[in-house]
Amino acid sequence: MTASALLARWANGPWAGSLRSAAIAAVLMAILMVLPPFLSLYWLRLLTSVLMLAVIAQGMNAMAGFVGYPAFGNVVFFGIGAYGTALAIAAGFGMAPALLVGAVPAATLALAVGPLLLRLRGHYFAIATLGLNEVVSALAANLSGLTGGAAGLSLPLGAGTASDAAQRAYFGFVALFAASLALGIFLRDSRFGYGCRAIRSNEEAAEATGVATLRVKSIAWMLSALLTAVAGGLYARWVGFIEPSLVFDMAISVKAFVMFLLGGAGTVFGPLIGSLLIESATTLAWSHLLKLHLLVLGVTIMLVVLVLPDGAQGFVARHWPTVRAWWRPRS
Amino acid sequence: MLSVRGLSAGYGGLVAIRSVDLEVKAGEWLALLGPVGAGKSTLLGVLAGLLAARHGEVRLDGEDIRLLPPHRRLRLGVALVPEGRRLFSGMTVRENLMAGTHALPDPTMRRRNLDRVCELFPVLAERTRQIAGTLSGGEQQMCAIGRALMASPRLLIIDEVTLGLAPLVVESLFAALARLHEQGMTLLTVEQNVPLVLAHADRGCVLSGGAIVMEGPAAVLRDDPDLPRHFIGF
Repeated sequence: MTASALLARWANGPWAGSLRSAAIAAVLMAILMVLPPFLSLYWLRLLTSVLMLAVIAQGMNAMAGFVGYPAFGNVVFFGIGAYGTALAIAAGFGMAPALLVGAVPAATLALAVGPLLLRLRGHYFAIATLGLNEVVSALAANLSGLTGGAAGLSLPLGAGTASDAAQRAYFGFVALFAASLALGIFLRDSRFGYGCRAIRSNEEAAEATGVATLRVKSIAWMLSALLTAVAGGLYARWVGFIEPSLVFDMAISVKAFVMFLLGGAGTVFGPLIGSLLIESATTLAWSHLLKLHLLVLGVTIMLVVLVLPDGAQGFVARHWPTVRAWWRPRS
Repeated sequence: MLSVRGLSAGYGGLVAIRSVDLEVKAGEWLALLGPVGAGKSTLLGVLAGLLAARHGEVRLDGEDIRLLPPHRRLRLGVALVPEGRRLFSGMTVRENLMAGTHALPDPTMRRRNLDRVCELFPVLAERTRQIAGTLSGGEQQMCAIGRALMASPRLLIIDEVTLGLAPLVVESLFAALARLHEQGMTLLTVEQNVPLVLAHADRGCVLSGGAIVMEGPAAVLRDDPDLPRHFIGF
């Protein structure tokens, strides 16, 4: 079979969607890789935070978008990742093992409390995850011997100039962002992902169909925790100083929630779209309406729910045929 | 194959079925009949593991499965097509079918089952990429049966397959079930269309007020003058 015939078979097979998404992801990666030399430090930082929030939003999307469980307190994993990584760096670990020190406890926590909390649904589950974040954040604030308490934790500076550090952070988040897209494709197109989406669609039917619902939900939450915790670790290295009120801040979760909803719940690229839109909007709002930016965020949430219930990606998908019909000359 | 002894179940203070004995033999088609509220769906739910039994035992080939969760029972070969189809409506037909293989670890079996389902319901094969929620009622029911078949069950339990469907569609669904039955599938179906199901099934039993009140070969039940009495409730 020739390569083109093979490609044609794949393009029409069940994995066509995955291939298309992977191709888009590859193009995005290529652009992100060559971009830094053309950006000032300010724009590089802004883009880094866009990518970071896209990753956190994907973590939220994994649970709330694909499985249908609003894990509002997901920022707890961001905080754990940040603290684990920061403490490991302070203890002299290299970056990769330090990220693991942040990620493994977060994933373990998700697996440990998942089977308990994931018996709750909807608002009840959301509130329980908020409680989890409060507990862990209180621990971080009060175990001063380990975490430095409310006074926070400063990291030793990395090698090189400020610009080097900014580049390292940027490429770290680019790599993690690639992983988050892979997770999105996995949750949309794999058998495990069908299980997740089946749970979101109708949990009783999923159960009757043989999906081990509690296990699938717990594993999905663990994956979400893993992604969010590594983001926290990279963030700690990037900013060099963390404190409980900074990395266990519910505003991060709220933002991530708005972003994946705005971009499109249960889609691969929705979190990126949402993050781009919200971050550029808030940057504008910050610079012009310092006191009103939370109002802007709140109004955005309401508008999304009212006007774009299936998010930007869903909105485009819905209206694409109309646009195409209008754009193409009638034959 | 499936043997139920002294089974009771209910919801809160309500007892829906009490001390039910039921035997499904390998290869047979057993029709479970009875008026609305008799406890038929409750019984099926208990058999599939969706609802806990209060008393009694449920055995599959002699093995006690009463405490197993649904996915473990599916692994042993008991599949349920729930009432009202309950498809994953935002997912495609293929995704719905593949979601049904969660309890099936072997990928070659998964492919073979997909082929078998497409052979049984050719209309599904044409619509693998269609969103399940946009199928017609009959096609949705086919998809729901197909989804249950994807797990290689030995015993297929179906709740109200004809609910809200046109007579022609009902006919073709029963033809498909009859074909499955010929291929050796053991069937347990709940059905309101009594003459239709008794024309196909081997045996029938009538559940009324939470207990089995009548049982016998389909041909005998069909002509039994007592049968309608149980549906009117006197």
